[in-house]
Amino acid sequence: MSICEVTGKTDSSAAVSHPSEQDQDDICRDIPAILAKHRGERAEMIAVLEDIQARFGYLPEKALRMVSEQTGRSLVDIYGIATYYRLFSLKPRGEHIICACTGTACHVRGAADVVNEFQKQLGIASGETTPDGKFTLETVNCLGACALGPIVVIDGRYFSKVRRRKVRELLDQARDGFGALPSEQDGMLFPVRVHCPHCNRSLMDPGVVLDSQPTIRLSALADGHLGRLRLSSIFGSNLISAEWEIPQRSVVRVFCPHCNEEMLDGTPCPVCDAPLVSLLVGGGGTVQFCSRRGCGWHQLDLI
Amino acid sequence: MARLSSSNELKELRDLLQTNIDPNALRVVICAGTACQASGAVDIVRMAQGHIVQNGLANRVSLRTTGCHGFCEMGFGPYLLTEPLGVFYAQLKTENVPRIIEAMLKGEVVEELLYRDPLTGEICRTRDEVPFFKNQHRTILDMNQKIDPTRIHDYIAQGGYQALEKVLSPGGQATVVREVKASGLRGRGGGGFPTGLKWEMLAKQRGPHGKILICNADEGDPGAYMDRSILEGNPHSIIEGMIIGAYGVGATEGIVYVRDEYPLAIENLTIALNRAREYGLIGENILGGGFSFDICMVRGAGAFVCGEETALIRSIEGKRGEPRQRPPYPVQKGVGGKPTIINNVETWANIPVIIRQGAEEFAKVGTKKNSGTKIFSLVGKIKNTGLVEVPMGITIGEIVNDIGGGPAGDSPIKAVQTGGPSGGCIPVEMFDLAVDYDSLAAAGSIMGSGGMIVMDENTCMVDVAKYFMNFLQEESCGKCFTCRKGTQRMYELLDDITKGRGTLEHLDLLEELAQVVKDTTLCGLGQTAGNPVLSTLRYFRKEYERHVIDKRCDAFVCGDLVGAACQTACPLDTEAWRYVALLEKGQYEEAYQVVREANPFPSICARVCDHRCEHRCQLGQSGGEPIAVRALKRFITDRVDPGVYKPPQTERSAENLPSPTGRGAGGEGTRTSPQDTLPLTLSQRERELSPVAVVGGGPAGISAAHYLSLQGYKVTLFEAEDAPGGMLTGGIPAYRLPRDLIEKEIASLLGEDITVRCGVRFGQDIALDSLTADGFHAVFLAIGAHESRPLGLKGEDLDGVYPSMRFLKAFNLRGEELARGHVGVIGGGNSAVDAARVAIRQKDVESVTLFYRRTEREMPAYEEEIEAAREEGVKIEVLVSPQKLFAKNGRLDGMECIRNRLGKLDASGRPRPAPEPGTEFAVHLDTLIVAIGEQPAGEILAAAGLELNKNGSIKIDPKTFRTSRDGVFAGGDVATGPATVVDAIATGKKAAEVIGRYLRGESLEIPPEVKLPRVFIEPAVVDEEQQETARRAKVHSISPEARRKNFAAVEKTLSEEEAVAEAQRCLRCDLQFTCDENGVPLESVATEEKSA
Repeated sequence: MSICEVTGKTDSSAAVSHPSEQDQDDICRDIPAILAKHRGERAEMIAVLEDIQARFGYLPEKALRMVSEQTGRSLVDIYGIATYYRLFSLKPRGEHIICACTGTACHVRGAADVVNEFQKQLGIASGETTPDGKFTLETVNCLGACALGPIVVIDGRYFSKVRRRKVRELLDQARDGFGALPSEQDGMLFPVRVHCPHCNRSLMDPGVVLDSQPTIRLSALADGHLGRLRLSSIFGSNLISAEWEIPQRSVVRVFCPHCNEEMLDGTPCPVCDAPLVSLLVGGGGTVQFCSRRGCGWHQLDLI
Repeated sequence: MARLSSSNELKELRDLLQTNIDPNALRVVICAGTACQASGAVDIVRMAQGHIVQNGLANRVSLRTTGCHGFCEMGFGPYLLTEPLGVFYAQLKTENVPRIIEAMLKGEVVEELLYRDPLTGEICRTRDEVPFFKNQHRTILDMNQKIDPTRIHDYIAQGGYQALEKVLSPGGQATVVREVKASGLRGRGGGGFPTGLKWEMLAKQRGPHGKILICNADEGDPGAYMDRSILEGNPHSIIEGMIIGAYGVGATEGIVYVRDEYPLAIENLTIALNRAREYGLIGENILGGGFSFDICMVRGAGAFVCGEETALIRSIEGKRGEPRQRPPYPVQKGVGGKPTIINNVETWANIPVIIRQGAEEFAKVGTKKNSGTKIFSLVGKIKNTGLVEVPMGITIGEIVNDIGGGPAGDSPIKAVQTGGPSGGCIPVEMFDLAVDYDSLAAAGSIMGSGGMIVMDENTCMVDVAKYFMNFLQEESCGKCFTCRKGTQRMYELLDDITKGRGTLEHLDLLEELAQVVKDTTLCGLGQTAGNPVLSTLRYFRKEYERHVIDKRCDAFVCGDLVGAACQTACPLDTEAWRYVALLEKGQYEEAYQVVREANPFPSICARVCDHRCEHRCQLGQSGGEPIAVRALKRFITDRVDPGVYKPPQTERSAENLPSPTGRGAGGEGTRTSPQDTLPLTLSQRERELSPVAVVGGGPAGISAAHYLSLQGYKVTLFEAEDAPGGMLTGGIPAYRLPRDLIEKEIASLLGEDITVRCGVRFGQDIALDSLTADGFHAVFLAIGAHESRPLGLKGEDLDGVYPSMRFLKAFNLRGEELARGHVGVIGGGNSAVDAARVAIRQKDVESVTLFYRRTEREMPAYEEEIEAAREEGVKIEVLVSPQKLFAKNGRLDGMECIRNRLGKLDASGRPRPAPEPGTEFAVHLDTLIVAIGEQPAGEILAAAGLELNKNGSIKIDPKTFRTSRDGVFAGGDVATGPATVVDAIATGKKAAEVIGRYLRGESLEIPPEVKLPRVFIEPAVVDEEQQETARRAKVHSISPEARRKNFAAVEKTLSEEEAVAEAQRCLRCDLQFTCDENGVPLESVATEEKSA
């Protein structure tokens, strides 16, 4: 239901324990873009480092050297910032990041016990990564979800009221991936039947199936190429099928295959500023999604 | 949407949006704040969307996903609100959502899914009936539920940007600073500096290069999250506040400095800023009025000190966030040298409210010097955790009890911590304190950003101080030496104390250091760093002293003082972990040895102990079911012949008595507990010349006599009844404690050095003076508390009305059955339940009803006893108080009762029963047993010339059991008021040692000792996963039918298979003290020998 990655791998999970060749190449490629994005901003250097960490999972030395060369700020200065703030890590982090909150509210409800159990089961101290590069254990002073403490966040997912005995289960789940968790099971997934907001004709194509559902058929212009684009009709699914390779981050213009009108919402994506696409939902409501490949922002309007 | 080019267009848009709102439209409102998301709100939203879309209901029901409403703890999950009725569904499961939507369409309510007040059990139909919400004053937070934070239209339709419109109107600019000043608003971020004054200073600054406004959203106080919720749930209110501020003071640039740990807040704020810019609300020429102001967002990178304004400014400049010297103040020289002011999120959110309502209206809420509302994050050991918005100046007690609903568990609340690491702890005794900037500061804490962390008896205050000091030493930027090193040293001192290495000098040094750091540091972090230490020392010095002097952590937090929690929880220091481990290996006799060494009454305790070992079991504390330690003890004592017990060598064997100079035979080995192997220094003759009188033959007296005789002293034991036993025989019925078992166990303890004299009543047959005259060198008084408290109603002397002790003793000791017909029992403690269960077994009894004034939750009796009573047919009437007794022919005929409802919590954190007039009702009763508590016989004790406590018990020094008379010691219920069997035994055991010391002329105080596990027992090889899923062993009872009208023992012992399986569940907390990480025993510990 959005023009996103097919596999949906997030940035943080792309981090590897040792900077591979690929990473080295990526650094050379991505750093200039990151620098350009934040040039002239407030707290420019911190924002740059935050983006680098989001991209690579940590701050690779090579990246910092490049930043130093290209901005003219001394490496010592950059190192000073990188070591001052808790957020930054100079060491590669694991495939799964476990972040245990040790804020006061979590502490009085036994967070220390939970951290100890993670340390015991993983055989590492907090701040360390397992030798196989699978897990990094970190603690944070407060995640602001104090009512549900002790809180543990694993790969961006919040777990509330974690007790020592739940630790093993959480690690097992993390190893297997959270894909199998109930929130993504069948009951929660539903298809939407959509119409063109201009001619009100159905956009559904029972002939081609994605996610075991009829697809949404659109005409699309991207990367100088006009062709058929099919989206999964499952709300929230990222599955698409296109006649040509649509480059990541490129903006796709979407047209009705019947009346050829462009289906623009008129507002930009709140996250990335690309135009939003808007379709009518059968039975009432509208669905909006970002036209930028890989952004993934979408919402269902039932007001 | 095109830019709005004038205030008028904004107004037109609002009018349009408002006319489009149908007040009767059906809408589902779901909170999807971070906390609710963590408990599954996203699934609820999905479910609602799916149901609406798939059933084509979009034209009939709409859906709004909002930010945090503040009621974050519903126990198990998210909640849902319906409009327009405001019906409140709590603890939602996804499968309930379609049902609710269908019911809405029919105009119905799903009764069983409504919120139920856990305190009173009453159903709350609408949100406003829920006590948590009812008692608040929600000006800021209530907006959250009315808007979807990603939709600017929602905000505008709710009157958003109206305040901006107001100040943009002609003449409006000059009113901004004036209004904010007049409102009395004080900065919500901590210090409470008057916001208007700050703004006025900025307005007066000349800023040729522009002035800057900062919104500090780097909410760093652990435990506070109101800023997060406002940012996530209502970002436009911050934006509006900042635009108004900018217009009033002439600022050109706004910066929101937000924590990177708040992804949802960042996302929603980004969306809001983009929308506001599109609508022309920020940027160039705002609403066509010629005024320009833009806001950008800077993400913090995690440094607590950045809450300090100069540090925050440096961080915004992209540098290390170290504070600098002031002046110049930021208002003179801030970001990039431009005049800058910083206010926190909640302060900014208040600005539109002030402008819209007018300063005067705003200042009506709160107190004179502390106007408006304040949001607190009420978290920790509290029932209703969440965000609470209240008028300034209400008391801590109102927040914690009326809104928070009191303690989360059974343990009473001890303190609240306010103000984060810079704040302090306020003890429960001071809960009448008004919450405002000034009174909190006077109490040694601060308001801070509004974190309120509730702590109960399971929170160790020394550990809390240590926690904060660890936090501060990590977060200290290191610029000032005293802060860098001082916080570190304070942490080390606190660490020493929690590990049992502390001395009283530590406390003095801590106090001095805290003061020095306070006085000699540059920024707010250092200047307040001493607060956690100073405030806990001020209010909880006793707790520090317990750690330092007694080496005890009563909250069971400090691991090095606790050791194995099951052992430390036991007043007798029974090594529960050890006999459980031995049992698992099938070494039953060795296990018995361990039990018996600590406890002279093993079989009795195996049946009636209140098993504090189980309450403290780490398995129970960490989310599982505690080990059934008492049932395992029962298994061992039932199975092993007491004859296998090999007493420590000094016991009763004259030839082994040490020489006058000798120091302790039997001091070696690990099996002997210190009480059994006192280093004896008196000669045989001296011992015989020092006879001791023990008055009272209950568990305390018998234990004292037994352990005194082990030391070689001659003891005379005086007992008022015909046989020793005290409450064991008089109070506890035979179905719980078989008589032959008591007799056997007592007989085994009364050796040849103990003379027992029964039928001798203290204050009647003997007195303290007469005992001295008879040549006793020391007296131990342990005559218990056998007087039942009266109800204080007319007619209590009627025939058929009995105090519970009289009723129980008549039956237990003499077999008299006093109950007949319809029996009522008043009370909720163990003796009430005992009386009820004894009554229902008596032959002339038709029915038994127990009346208790609170609910079953508050009943002090053991849960399993209440359950057993109910199984046997005892009716339990709760929330009832007696009012009048009726007589017929001089005999009891009935009772008038009144129904109660639970009122406000009292100081103990329990709800007070409040009678409801008009609910009186009468019951017919032939027998009434009054069991509302026992007390010692105060007059007799006073006549003996002993100083007494207010409740009539003997005043003693709790460590040495000394009374106000020399040579007279007292313990057990007579000194403590009614307590448990195991307490009585422990008292007797310790008193014996103290009395021995007294007789030998030694110092009476027993030196404190941390009792850590010292014996290594190989852990069982078990499948950990299986171990985690295994359930607690269930103790079987004989059927209720089989036990009616007889006194056969009710509980059965576990089978061997069950017992071993139960023992396998043990987490073996002892191992962390007896072996290294690889399971190799430490050199300092002994190794348990294999079974012979």
